[in-house]
Amino acid sequence: MKLEIIRETLKNKSLKKEFALITNLINGESEIFFPGNDLSEMFSKYSEEIEKIFNLNKNGIIENSEIFVQTYKNPIKVIIVGAVDISKYLIEFAKNLNFEIIIVDPRGYFASKKRFPDTKIINKWPNEAFYEIEANSSTALVTLTHDPKIDDPALQYALKNKFFYIGALGSKKTHEKRCSRLIEAGFKEIELEKINGPIGIKLGGKSPSEIALSIISQLVYEKYKNKI
Amino acid sequence: MSNFPEKKIFEEADNWIKNNKKVSLATVVQTWGSSPLGIGSRMIVSEDGNFLGSVSGGCVEAKVIEECISLMKNKKICKKIDFNVSNENAWEIGLACGGDISIYIEEIK
Repeated sequence: MKLEIIRETLKNKSLKKEFALITNLINGESEIFFPGNDLSEMFSKYSEEIEKIFNLNKNGIIENSEIFVQTYKNPIKVIIVGAVDISKYLIEFAKNLNFEIIIVDPRGYFASKKRFPDTKIINKWPNEAFYEIEANSSTALVTLTHDPKIDDPALQYALKNKFFYIGALGSKKTHEKRCSRLIEAGFKEIELEKINGPIGIKLGGKSPSEIALSIISQLVYEKYKNKI
Repeated sequence: MSNFPEKKIFEEADNWIKNNKKVSLATVVQTWGSSPLGIGSRMIVSEDGNFLGSVSGGCVEAKVIEECISLMKNKKICKKIDFNVSNENAWEIGLACGGDISIYIEEIK
């Protein structure tokens, strides 16, 4: 492989592009594949198979060939509502787990650049913030303020847009109240089952870092369960 | 900021080459049965034996490093190495998990 291809891979990742790195295992020649773009003669006859592996977000050798495909897709977007202590630990874990974190909190004193350097922060109410976020069924939502004014609109948005993961911090009691409010707002009980409340898998911990660990574990679990 | 798994490996490969080191890239290209790391896991090896990243749970790294160094020394372009039970090196290396893996090594030019 040429160093140039490695540099291009790094550049494309930093520009948040989605692509595949293809290598001919016989001669070590590599090329970068972008969906819809033409490939050089050496690889073009495998275009269909390359695209198939890319769309499945997989890596592997194309059957009956010596062509290796490595897919680079953007990380899963996790929107955290609430710039609290738990969020800090979630950001730390997410760094090594290929999740992209966006923090939403209208309270400027919580969601400051000083408290969260190197993280995308949107200092707005969820309803306004979601205008700035491209979200779909591969997006996750974690609400941590347990203030209905802030959490509820975000939960409603995530339910309507069928996020693959929705988790809300709060006790069982808090969650029951939350569900009644959402039912009043027109949601069906079956829809509310999508919300993980209380949030996280049961590890038994209580500290912010332990809660963050239980949340990130649940996110990883749901990611594979939903084949995201 | 989120890091993709190879970010550090690719950046470091660039650095090592800038420092006039020869560097090889090792990639898991195929697995059968249970294997410690998935297809696409990568490791870099410099001619002086420095390495970063991983291609197994530590079972075959030593052999891969050795192969990478000899690849660079002999000015070969690339090589695919299969690690499995019937491999002649099974006694020496052998995957503790019982899986088979193919690792592709190539010099970064």
